[in-house]
Amino acid sequence: MTASQTKEKRFVNPLQIAEDQMLIGLTLLGQVGYLMWRTFGYMLRLQIDWAESTRQGYMIGVKSLVVVGITALFTGLAMSLQISRELVTFGADTAIGGVVSLALVREIGPITAGVIVAGRVGSSIAAELTTMMITEQIDALKVMRVDPIKFLVVPRYTAALIVIPTLSTYAMFLGLLAGIFIAKTAANVPPEAFLDSVRQTILDRDFAVHYLKSIINATVIIFFSCAIGLNTRGGAEDVGIATTRAIVWTMISIFILNFVVTSLTYAPR
Amino acid sequence: MTAEPVLQVKNIHKAFGDRKILEGVSFDVYAGEMLGLIGPSGCGKSTLLKIICGLLEPDQGEVIRRSDDIGLVFQGSALLNSLNVRNNLALALDRRNLSKAEEDKIIREKLDLVELSDFMYASPTRLSGGQQKRTSFARAIVNDPKIILYDEPTTGLDPVMSTVIEDYMIVLSHQLSAASIVVTHQFSTWTRTTNRVVLMFEGKIVWQGTPEEGVKSDNPFMQQFASGSREGPMLAAKL
Repeated sequence: MTASQTKEKRFVNPLQIAEDQMLIGLTLLGQVGYLMWRTFGYMLRLQIDWAESTRQGYMIGVKSLVVVGITALFTGLAMSLQISRELVTFGADTAIGGVVSLALVREIGPITAGVIVAGRVGSSIAAELTTMMITEQIDALKVMRVDPIKFLVVPRYTAALIVIPTLSTYAMFLGLLAGIFIAKTAANVPPEAFLDSVRQTILDRDFAVHYLKSIINATVIIFFSCAIGLNTRGGAEDVGIATTRAIVWTMISIFILNFVVTSLTYAPR
Repeated sequence: MTAEPVLQVKNIHKAFGDRKILEGVSFDVYAGEMLGLIGPSGCGKSTLLKIICGLLEPDQGEVIRRSDDIGLVFQGSALLNSLNVRNNLALALDRRNLSKAEEDKIIREKLDLVELSDFMYASPTRLSGGQQKRTSFARAIVNDPKIILYDEPTTGLDPVMSTVIEDYMIVLSHQLSAASIVVTHQFSTWTRTTNRVVLMFEGKIVWQGTPEEGVKSDNPFMQQFASGSREGPMLAAKL
């Protein structure tokens, strides 16, 4: 939808707006589904541009290292401080490592990496592809009989499947380091005791869920931002609108799907 | 010019919602011919060009192409900024499964034609507007297409660079014996480069003939378009 179309719809009644938004949402889900179908088709046939995937891996992964690192570190510090304070009150200071690591492996690691990459990379992909649409670069690809999905989406998704789980693991380890630091300084728990508690608490299944969530995040970020970018027309204002839409849709989807996975894997029986 | 047209546009109709863009447009283009598709902004020229190269489907009518190889020079060059000049051209060669050496030979040859071989490994973002346009030309002809489409090739360029671009168009048309369509509203472009012009207004063809006939025509649409006058049916219809 172009900016001018959005403006025209500003004074329509609320029911009409709700109906329009639902239609826009369903259309986007259809576009995402179509992109996924075509992308998986190329990937299963191993029609992947590895050089471009490596370049995208650098853009998505390496360039996110600092921001993911800082976020994970401070989230870990704050969370560990809260947990340490409560557990020390109950005399359960040796359980700090277990509780902190559970939160990091199951939730904080994937969510932190997912949200940061959604904000940094998802918005950038949506802006780049929308600009390519507006400046007719996508049309140029089609005229040259180059499939934009194979050229633009497949390398980004291939890269994201590798680097986003790696970023999640990196966020998890930085969070753990923060936990060790806080446990030692605020609760006087030695690192050995902290790590022992981690080993007793964390199961292989927790790591499986961690990577499942990371892969879901990668899928959501790439397909929503690419679908929005490749289906936006208009002018400069629409680049901004596409960017915002990409962030909103990916963030909401990441949180909803995170809850779905948690409820399917950790709900009390 | 051969008897068989390379491109036939037959009774094309296209609407976006309630807005009719094209209403029954038909013409043929022959090998070696350069057809000027002229008219005021919003008359449906660019939409027709997108239908001809397959980017849009017509609601009614058909486009018959004797060759699937089409080169399109975009108004804004449409070069991929993430690739250098060489790789922008190589992308168009991708489907031919050539070796790198073969690709390089063809790319250098085409860049030589537009005098840009020194910029083979430059990023498009470092090129001037005229150089980007010439790179776009080289990309359009890299597969020696039998149909070349130019969308506003001289819009936004200074008069000197416009003349340079027009000269390239004439040279390329002769060298490739391609059927070319030039969408433009620049007087110098259609009078200098084309053999025949089709004037469009509100989605219909309102006049066609040679550029020389166009300049002297007493058709009110053609007279107003060629002279750029405020007086005439075009502005009256818009106001």
